[in-house]
Amino acid sequence: MNHVTAETFDQNAKAALQDSQLKGALNNLTNTFGERRKIAIQSVNNWEGLREKASKIKAETLKNLDKYLEKFTENAEKAGAKIHWAIDGKEANEIILGLIKERNAKNVVKSKSMVSEETHLNAALEKAGIFPVETDLGEWIIQLAEETPSHIVVPAIHKTKKQIADLFVEKVGILPTDDVDKLTQTARNFLREKFQTSEVGISGVNFGIAETGTILILENEGNIRLTTGLPKTHIALMGIEKLLPQLSDLDIFLKLLPRSGTGQRLTTYQSLITGTKRDSEAEGPEELHIVLLDNGRSKMLSHPVTRQSLACIRCGACLNSCPVYQQIGGHAYGSVYPGPIGAVITPQLNGIEKNKQLPFASSLCGACREVCPVKIDIPELLLHLRAKVAEEKPKFLESFAFKLYSKAWAGNKSYELGTKTARFMQKLVAKGEKIGKQTSLMGKLAPPLGNWTEFRDAPTIAEKSFRDIWKEKKVKSKG
Amino acid sequence: MDTSTAKAKIFDSIRQSLRASEPFDVVHAEHHTQEDFGAIKPFIFENKVQTFCENLTAIGANCKIFSNLKHARNEVENLIVEKSAKTIAISDSDSVTRIASTINADFIQKASAEELFDCEIGITSAQFGVAETGTLVIESDKEFNRLTSLIPPVHICILEASKLRNNLGEVLAELSKNLSKSVTFITGQSRTSDIELTLALGVHGPKELFVFIVENE
Repeated sequence: MNHVTAETFDQNAKAALQDSQLKGALNNLTNTFGERRKIAIQSVNNWEGLREKASKIKAETLKNLDKYLEKFTENAEKAGAKIHWAIDGKEANEIILGLIKERNAKNVVKSKSMVSEETHLNAALEKAGIFPVETDLGEWIIQLAEETPSHIVVPAIHKTKKQIADLFVEKVGILPTDDVDKLTQTARNFLREKFQTSEVGISGVNFGIAETGTILILENEGNIRLTTGLPKTHIALMGIEKLLPQLSDLDIFLKLLPRSGTGQRLTTYQSLITGTKRDSEAEGPEELHIVLLDNGRSKMLSHPVTRQSLACIRCGACLNSCPVYQQIGGHAYGSVYPGPIGAVITPQLNGIEKNKQLPFASSLCGACREVCPVKIDIPELLLHLRAKVAEEKPKFLESFAFKLYSKAWAGNKSYELGTKTARFMQKLVAKGEKIGKQTSLMGKLAPPLGNWTEFRDAPTIAEKSFRDIWKEKKVKSKG
Repeated sequence: MDTSTAKAKIFDSIRQSLRASEPFDVVHAEHHTQEDFGAIKPFIFENKVQTFCENLTAIGANCKIFSNLKHARNEVENLIVEKSAKTIAISDSDSVTRIASTINADFIQKASAEELFDCEIGITSAQFGVAETGTLVIESDKEFNRLTSLIPPVHICILEASKLRNNLGEVLAELSKNLSKSVTFITGQSRTSDIELTLALGVHGPKELFVFIVENE
């Protein structure tokens, strides 16, 4: 499942549907998180009011993103952070590799970051001989298994306890066990050594606060606090859209994000980091580098529909609520960001021509829109992107057929000739009053013709047209 | 890499896109009316100490209320004996220093990262407590507590009742006046459910958290 591409979404989805183990895991995940979320949103006053407010804050921030970015970087620099700008993933990776090399660092620890998955940071660093160690338990499992995350909150959800135990036996050399506590302690012990010896820690960012230049990262495990607190150099990679205007906005977003993601009132830890320490005696890194990544985000600002995509706070609620994700899981999408939000972000980041199938990987039921904590209208976005796919140049045969069709239907004579021919030709493919895959030769026809009745039958043209019957009756009544 | 050119290019692209969006924004706004759901009332509690304790206990941590520091000190001593802890890391806060000075154990104040990995208990205070969620707020500029609260498997926090606030909004308002380089919110002990969604505690941070609230300092 590792090297899937969006071009093969149909095949991926079919393969996923056959995988009963994956089905069980997805059932467990989506039910558990769905239920927990429902309970958690009861513990605030006015959940809908919070969503509305968050949506407004994000919309205003994105509409003035240039101003807020200036403010954020100015304040972060004032506090001692160094700011770097990257147009695309390749540039971001080069900046980070450069920082590691300048410091002659050999050991690098990393905490979970979706944006680093987007830039394929690990692969780029490994090419240069730097092997960053993932420290989030789920990400570490994925790294050991040489796979990719299948969910943005619980990356190893597709793996069973047994598979993880086997993996640890093989790669870490533990004794076989089926005890989750023991497996967790294995990670703790193995990774503690890495934390102690690493010179550089790399993290993502959940929110950047323009007013103070603060970056905020949420977690449950404590590996982010270690990654950002122990090594001498901390490098934070963040998308340019992650900003909030002021510190007090966190009150709203910290109510929404954990409840929507894992159904917690608050995740265990939130780290708010503002620049670097001023006193050499103090705790924490000596350097903070913030790498701001565009990678196609600024282009999404050019329309109010696509701009919404940038409001996403990566909670994963739309994945858990999506009937398509619930059936096929994250890998089938063939992209870093899976589920409904992935289906709208991926084509915008990587080009719609390479990801034509993704905007169609949805039934438009609207469940994602209902749960989204920042009220992103994902169905609206999917339709917008479907229109973009349709605007692309159609295939030659198809466009030729439709030209012929419109010409024939434009004139009376040719229309009558056309229906007469069709009435005669359909005898070859119809059974009863249907033309369909099961009933006739149609199913055996090669695409593109066979595609028309692959999933539904077409009715046959009536023996006599209304106009013919009308004519006959007129003749009769006259006679 | 010439990052200043990248910066200019990104800002150009942002501004160009925002300008291009303007005519569509007008049409979009006409079709999307905003709903009014009324005010978001913050939670205010009659008894912050009680609420804090209930919320923290609900997620599996320990919380006890003491009338004065001496009683809390006795409980700290009991825990040290119970855990047969040999090395204990302590922060430099006033209450923690006072407690440690009356207990006979091997304390390291302001322990280095290397030392912390060998400590069985870390003791700190906190700058705020949040009743609504049972959250501790620690500020690096106020106390040497960033790693002491994180690396040892047991974290004991001595929290003065006067530090309790109703909700996070109140804390954020106070923090923004003078923001520390590092501020950490701690709600319960380190946890994960990355393996089959089964809860496991103490994956990277403390497996056990004890909060001792002192009512009269």
